[in-house]
Amino acid sequence: MLNILIVGNGQCGNRILDAINREAFGKKSRLAKFYSQQKYKSNVQTIAINTAVNDLKEMKFTKAKDRIHIPHLHGVGANRNVGKHVFEDNKTHIMRQIEERGNFDVCFVITSASGGTGSSFTPMLVKELKEKYDFPVYAVVVLPFREEGTLYLQNAAFCLRDIRESGADGIILADNQFLKQMGGNVESAYNGINDMVARRLLFLLDALDSEMMMVTDLGDFKTVMSGGAGLATIGFYEADTDMPVRSAIQKALSPSGLLFSSDVYKEASRAMVIIRGDKERLSIDEISTEVEKLSSSVGHVFKGIIVRDGELPQVLAVLTLESASELENLYSIAVDAIKYERDKKERVATVKDVDRAFSQIDGMDPSY
Amino acid sequence: MVRVARLLVISFCMVFFCLALAGNAAAVEIYNGSITTGDGYQLNNFVIDVTDAFPSAETASFYVYENGEEVDSFLLSEGDTYEFDFEDDAEITVGLVSVSSGTLPVVRVSISITNYRVSDLFESDVIDGGSEYAVYSGTPELEIVKSIDKSEIDVGDVVRVTVTVENTGDDDAVDVVFSDPQQAKFILVDNILGDPGKIDVGDGDSPKKIYVYDLKATEAGTFSLNPVTASFTNEAGLDFDDASSNSPTVIVNAAENLVTADLEFTTTLDKYTVNRNDEIHGTITIKNNGDAPATAVTVDFMLPDGLEFQSGSDIEVISGVPTIYLESFGVQQEKEFTFTVKATEVGTYTLSMENSYLFDNGVDTQLEEVTSESVTNKIYVVKGEYDYLFEQPIYVYVIPLVIIGAIAGWIYYRHKQYKF
Repeated sequence: MLNILIVGNGQCGNRILDAINREAFGKKSRLAKFYSQQKYKSNVQTIAINTAVNDLKEMKFTKAKDRIHIPHLHGVGANRNVGKHVFEDNKTHIMRQIEERGNFDVCFVITSASGGTGSSFTPMLVKELKEKYDFPVYAVVVLPFREEGTLYLQNAAFCLRDIRESGADGIILADNQFLKQMGGNVESAYNGINDMVARRLLFLLDALDSEMMMVTDLGDFKTVMSGGAGLATIGFYEADTDMPVRSAIQKALSPSGLLFSSDVYKEASRAMVIIRGDKERLSIDEISTEVEKLSSSVGHVFKGIIVRDGELPQVLAVLTLESASELENLYSIAVDAIKYERDKKERVATVKDVDRAFSQIDGMDPSY
Repeated sequence: MVRVARLLVISFCMVFFCLALAGNAAAVEIYNGSITTGDGYQLNNFVIDVTDAFPSAETASFYVYENGEEVDSFLLSEGDTYEFDFEDDAEITVGLVSVSSGTLPVVRVSISITNYRVSDLFESDVIDGGSEYAVYSGTPELEIVKSIDKSEIDVGDVVRVTVTVENTGDDDAVDVVFSDPQQAKFILVDNILGDPGKIDVGDGDSPKKIYVYDLKATEAGTFSLNPVTASFTNEAGLDFDDASSNSPTVIVNAAENLVTADLEFTTTLDKYTVNRNDEIHGTITIKNNGDAPATAVTVDFMLPDGLEFQSGSDIEVISGVPTIYLESFGVQQEKEFTFTVKATEVGTYTLSMENSYLFDNGVDTQLEEVTSESVTNKIYVVKGEYDYLFEQPIYVYVIPLVIIGAIAGWIYYRHKQYKF
């Protein structure tokens, strides 16, 4: 049995972590925590860290003892510099909380790249974990809307760079651009992407600790994640009633099935494909055909098959990327955002229109 | 054997009677002493005067008086005796023992009596001066008259009673004590002339008022007033039978001014068939149909075990008994009291009320008390809607409670686990 640590940093990380814990109950009801148990195959410990207490209070399926509030703060206001300072001040407390939960085989740190707490805490937390422990640490990073704002875009750019430099064993990208595909209101869209990330991670955790017809394990996952440019994404698809497994694999590898939009046949470096379902529906020929097709493009593909009676075929693909055109697009936009913010700051510092206005009454006193 | 015993008993009886007769007939010496000439010896109303004594002749002459009247005379020599008749069958025997001379000659006599109980002698002594100075015993006769001023009255009216006494005998009545028993159905309202105590009533005195008082009739009817009696003696201390007065009759008619309070107690309930644990609302109505106000009106609830008093307007629970108490209740007044009882046990019950009140009927000095009891119709208490729940074995309740408790505990535990 694997010992797995999942840390959710900031509002986005907290929500995805809570979605994972909710999905682990296997029931959709909000009351599932009262009558059901989480169905983790592994020993999974979850920790939510935030500077905003309200974000922690919103969590419904994560135990109170697993929520760490950095006191005397109500968020860091999307300011990563403040966030880094706060983490530095509370580093000992956070690391002690992790230490108290025992030893782990792998750690996932979930965060938004654009926010304040998550984007500033995650690189530093990964660095601390890597310095203190020898288990692999993977960051699950959610990228912002491109039009979400200049601060978020520059935060995302610097956060991703910091995480790469922190020593993380891999970065799994999830892109909020999915919101546009899912439609609906903002809340349901956010919940939808949180659920999507949660389901993929749970599937992955389940696969890493399951008996398989064709085995993939943590070692294989590490190998996959060590390939490419250290960036990865996860594709997933659950087949409909009459859908063959071949189509499910294709859907999982298509841009619409991925958390981060990519042409995996061109940009992927290594891959792991895990297929789960009723054995009657899992055609080895179809699976082999699709895996071979992928491996012919990306090189090595780890393949795992989990037989579950009565289940429709579900396909999870973990892909490390050699390049990411979408990420380059993001960074080009981010550069513009950084420049814009810098110019604005310089303009405000030099012009000081407001000071000019105030200077008009210099030397005068009010008369009553 | 039986025969011998019977003879012995008869013999003993005869001996006893003979001895008794002999004792009665035997002469008893009353006096043996000296009497001076001119004096006498009195035995009750008889006086034996020594009229003359002749020492030289050793003789003396005697006169016998009864109530001052000479009835006999005789002359005795020393050693002689003389007998004369005394009261009833008794006889007096006078014997002359001796005659001696002196300033006045003195005789020594022996006086004995036969057929007479000595204890019956109320006078036996020497009388100086003889019969002229003797005091004779008479017979007082008391005539007591009880009279009333009215012989026919109404209830509540007063009749005056006057008691007089007159001595029509030949001797004073001494130490007269009157007795006038209390009269039933009448009350003494005024005592004008009270008990005179022990008095003397002389013969020949005019009639004397002993009692004067007023009696108030309390009940209609014909009544004979109790006679007044008097005990007395004559001057010699002789007791006589008690004298008794007449018994006047008084006719007492029902009075028109007699008033009464007539309280009507009515209890009604809102339902007579109820489920167990249901409440029954009732109303007690008290109405005075009489022409006199009532006081101390009391209604006590006699609740059976299956009914439990809950509440009520102006109803107090005294010593566990719900009670209505009204200090006064006017003529034609009507008042309602509401109450609530709870049916606690299945069964058939009635609700009893013990009612009582006092009133002044305008005649009696004491208030008249009236008590009554009122009972409601039968109240049927049937099983309640959820009674079957209480008839189940204990585990039927315990197991669900344990399960519910465990679930609640688990939910609370989980809530605490996830509450931040």
